Parts: sequence; C-alpha cells; structure tokens
Amino acid sequence: MEKKTKAAIIAIVLIVIAWAALAAAKPSKEVMMSKCSPEIQKQIEAEKNSTRKRITVTYNSLGFINYCAFSSSSKNADGASKEVYVGFAGKVYSAKEGPAKFVSQMVNYTYRMLGCGENVFHGAKLTILLTTLTVLIGFILSIFLALGKISKNVIISKLCGAYIFFFRGTPLLIQLFVVYFAIPGVFGFAWKDLFSAPDTEAVYMGAFVAALIAFSLNSAAYCAEIVRAAIQSIDKGQNEAARALGLTYGQTMRKVIIPQSVRRMIPPICNEFIMILKDASLVFAISLMDITTISKNIMTNELSYMVFIPALIIYLIITAFFTFIFNKIEKKLSVYE
Amino acid sequence: MKDYEYIIKTEGVSKHFGKLEVLKNIDLSVKKGEVVCIIGPSGAGKSTFLRSLNQLEKITSGKIYIKDELLLHREHDKTVEKISPDRHKALMLEMGMVFQRFNLFPHLTVLENVMLAPVNVKKVPAEQAKKEAEELLDKVGLLSKVDEYPSKLSGGQQQRVAIARALAMKPEIMLFDEPTSALDPELVGEVLQVMKDLANGGMTMIVVTHEMGFAREVADRVLLMADGIIAEQGSPDQIFDNPQNDRTKSFLKSVLNAN
Repeated sequence: MEKKTKAAIIAIVLIVIAWAALAAAKPSKEVMMSKCSPEIQKQIEAEKNSTRKRITVTYNSLGFINYCAFSSSSKNADGASKEVYVGFAGKVYSAKEGPAKFVSQMVNYTYRMLGCGENVFHGAKLTILLTTLTVLIGFILSIFLALGKISKNVIISKLCGAYIFFFRGTPLLIQLFVVYFAIPGVFGFAWKDLFSAPDTEAVYMGAFVAALIAFSLNSAAYCAEIVRAAIQSIDKGQNEAARALGLTYGQTMRKVIIPQSVRRMIPPICNEFIMILKDASLVFAISLMDITTISKNIMTNELSYMVFIPALIIYLIITAFFTFIFNKIEKKLSVYE
Repeated sequence: MKDYEYIIKTEGVSKHFGKLEVLKNIDLSVKKGEVVCIIGPSGAGKSTFLRSLNQLEKITSGKIYIKDELLLHREHDKTVEKISPDRHKALMLEMGMVFQRFNLFPHLTVLENVMLAPVNVKKVPAEQAKKEAEELLDKVGLLSKVDEYPSKLSGGQQQRVAIARALAMKPEIMLFDEPTSALDPELVGEVLQVMKDLANGGMTMIVVTHEMGFAREVADRVLLMADGIIAEQGSPDQIFDNPQNDRTKSFLKSVLNAN
C-alpha cells in the first residue's frame, strides 16, 4: 500500500474515534431538557395535559453536539421568550450570546437543512436523491436519444434532434411548471392523488415525482449531446473491425463503442451532475423543501443571515463527495490506457 | 470436397465517390488456397477494392460471389437482388479482415479481443472459445500476452493479435489491407512471417501490400492496380521480371529506385 493511502486511513480512523468519543460524552436529551429556567419548566408542567401549547421545545441531536431550545409564545414580564442550550462533551452551555449562540445557530440550521427528523423529501436528502436519480434516468434516456440522433433514419434523427433542441432551448423552471401544473391540469389529475399516503406526505411525493420527471427529461437532452460526442469520438476503425467480425449494430454498440465512450463521458457527466445539484433548488417553486428553500425560509422568518454559511458548506461537501466518486469511476475505467 | 469453382469472384465491380470513379468494372476470380497480392501506386483503388469485398464500402455497381453463391448485386447505387439475411451473414463470415491500423478493441484484453466475435456472433461457449483463442494466440506467438491490453503491445504484436482475432471466426478467405504499412520497419518481419505460415497452411488470401519481397515470395498471383483498373496480372515472376504493361514498368521502377 502507498504511504499516502496509509496516512489517509489512519486519519479517517482517528476522526471516527474522536467523533465516537465526543458523541458518547454528549449530554443526553433528559439532561438538556432539565436545564431550562424554573419559569419555563413550570409552564411545561402546566401545559403537560393541555392540547394548546404555548411552549415549543426543540431538540436537535447532530453528531457529537446537541441543541435544545424552548420558546414561549406568551411574553414573560422580562421579555425573555426564548432559551437556547448547546450540549457538548458532557457539558451544557447557555447559548444566549457569543460563540455559543453562533454554534447553536449553526447546529440548528444544519440539522434542519440536512432534513434530519423529516422524511426523505426534505433538505439535503431530497437534493441528493433528486440529483442522483435525475442523472441516472437522464443518462439512460440520453443513450437512446444520442443513438437516435446519429441514426441514419432521418425521421428518428430529426425527432431526437427536436427533443434535444426543445429541452435545451427552454428554461428548466418552466418545464417544471409544465410537468407539475399544466399536465395534471390538462389530463385532469393531481400529482398527490397518485399516492395513498397521508395528505402532506402525498403532496411531497407527488411534487417529487413531478420534479424527477421534469429534471430527467431535461437532463437527458444535455446528456444526449455528451453521449453523442463521446460515441462519435471513437475511431471509425473500431466500428469497421466489429462489422468485419460479423457483430450486429447492437452488439457493436454494446460491446465495443459504448464501453469505450463511457470513459470519455465521465468528466462532462460529472459536470452535468453538479449543475443539476444546484438546479435542484428550483423545486422551491413546487413547494418542496430542499436546502435552498429551507435556508431562505430561515432567513426570512428568523432574520438570520448566518444561515448561508452551513448552506454553502453542505453544497460544497456534496459536490466534493460526488466529484471524488466520479474521479474514482474514471480511474477505474481507464485501466486499459 | 470443393463443390464450387471460385471461392470469391467479382463481376464488373465499380465504385464512385461522387464524380470520382475509383473502381472501374473490376473482374477477379480467386480459387481456394490461392494467395493474391495487389500492388500498385497509392490512389489506385487497392484498399477500396478490398474494403468493397467486405462491404465496408458500398459499391456503385457489380456482383460479388462467395463460393459461387451471390453475395451482393448492385446497380446504380441500389441493391437489385435481395439475399436472405441469414445467407448473407453466413457468406460474410467466410471473410476475415486485417486492417492497416490493427483496430484492436483497446478496452478488451488480448484474449477478450480474440474471443469477442466467436462468443457473440457464433455463440460458441466461452470455455471453448477461450481454448481456441489461446491456440490461435499460440500460433502467432503471443500466448504470454493473453491478459495484456493492446496498448501494452508493440505494433507488430498488435497486428498479430488482429490476425488471430480474424482467424477466430474460422474464415476461408483472409483479406489484408496493407497490414504492415503502419509498422516500424523492424516489426514488419514478424507479421509477414505469420502471414507466410498462413499461406503455407492453405489459406486463401487477398493482400494489398507494398512489400514487394513478400509478394514475390508468397503470392500465387500478383495484380497491379492503377487508376481503378487491374492493369496487369500474372505470376510473380512474370510481373516482377517481365512486366508488359507500361504502368507496371513505371510503378516497379519507382518502387525499386526507392529501395
């Protein structure tokens, strides 16, 4: 094994150990809950059996740090309507001001933007799921589109060309609107009715499926040009050799041309992936809660501009992770060069 | 066993690239086991003719027969006689082709290159195909390279793999399109040796080549093509020692002077 790989493994192991140790030392939920002021505790006790609660208790556990907030809708005499605590390494800190307040905000915002405690159609989970599925479906569709476009059959070629022209020539947001609003309008159905889940969940599922369809169709058009270019960059002699050996068109494509062109597609497909990752924020327009929507909501509702720090970092981490994966794939496919 | 006269025969094969007429009414008949070398100046249509036999170029008009069975009949850029796809495929498989630039599949190992067509086209079981591929690679002297990728081989080795790959389909006719033109001079010999062995083994071969020594030594018949026609043909001795046609004379003169 290389020295570099060894060092990386040691570093990863150390980080995991430190993480586990800090997570074990983290104050428990009960400890966090018991830290609030006597007045709030009294209020919580008083409201224990009532259905209308004035006190909202928020508890977020994020890795080795946790966050607890108590906010009251009824103003106290001293105006203190909110108490925030951060638990870290066995201690609980009041996060009213200073660095503790900053940390508490970061923890809370990150927790919400990652979509923790929510189903898969929230936050970073939604962004990653939508992007990955979009690129996967778009790429598969694009192979057919690309083969169609370079086909000798003029009708197929023109049809595929028109598809690509249409989807590259109109804004993704409008395509999303068409799929989400116009198509159900014309055909008389609602996306959420396609799912037999509780209402709010069905809305998210329906919106997700609509977004996936719109994004995949759009991405297929862009990927088709990538695939076409990669296929046409393969030496003509490969095609001739395969034909001289008696391989059919389909076999030539599957066994000879596409395996060679896939490697050349990886860098531009990675680029397309990153573009979609960011375009995925357009789902705000159909009421899906992705990273961008959540951070915008936090900014407008809580007037906190700090929210953009974790938002940007989350996007960067996702991008870095997938770039790493694509590089690995490219290296793996390059063994024969 | 032979129930046919000519293993490959062309009648009036013509080819136009736009207004340019590269092949003019070429008639050629080759008997089983014959080695035919095609020589001639560049641009004479040698490669185009060879590629036309294998239908990598669509001829404008003419007929091609394999084992006296019609493979292709075209007039005015249109196929006039339909051949059933199964027969067509079977006849096409009688021809193997070796290219100037090898055209090995770079993403497959040497063994996979040789096995690809038998397994996918002839549906030979993988085990058997592997065994046969190894035998062929042994024959061309590359058994030790089975697991290498083509990029790791020299040009001469690549061309030998390409020959093994074509032979794996068990063709009765081998077409060679300038098989040594893209090689460094010191690598030409090893490829020619493999071709000589093939010829001695009784393979029918049509070879487009610039290797006059090879043509003289191995060919049963030498064709000189110039300006899209067969200017002269005959035994190597006839062509090289006693050429009749002026084009043959001038071509041989320029080749021999260059050497």
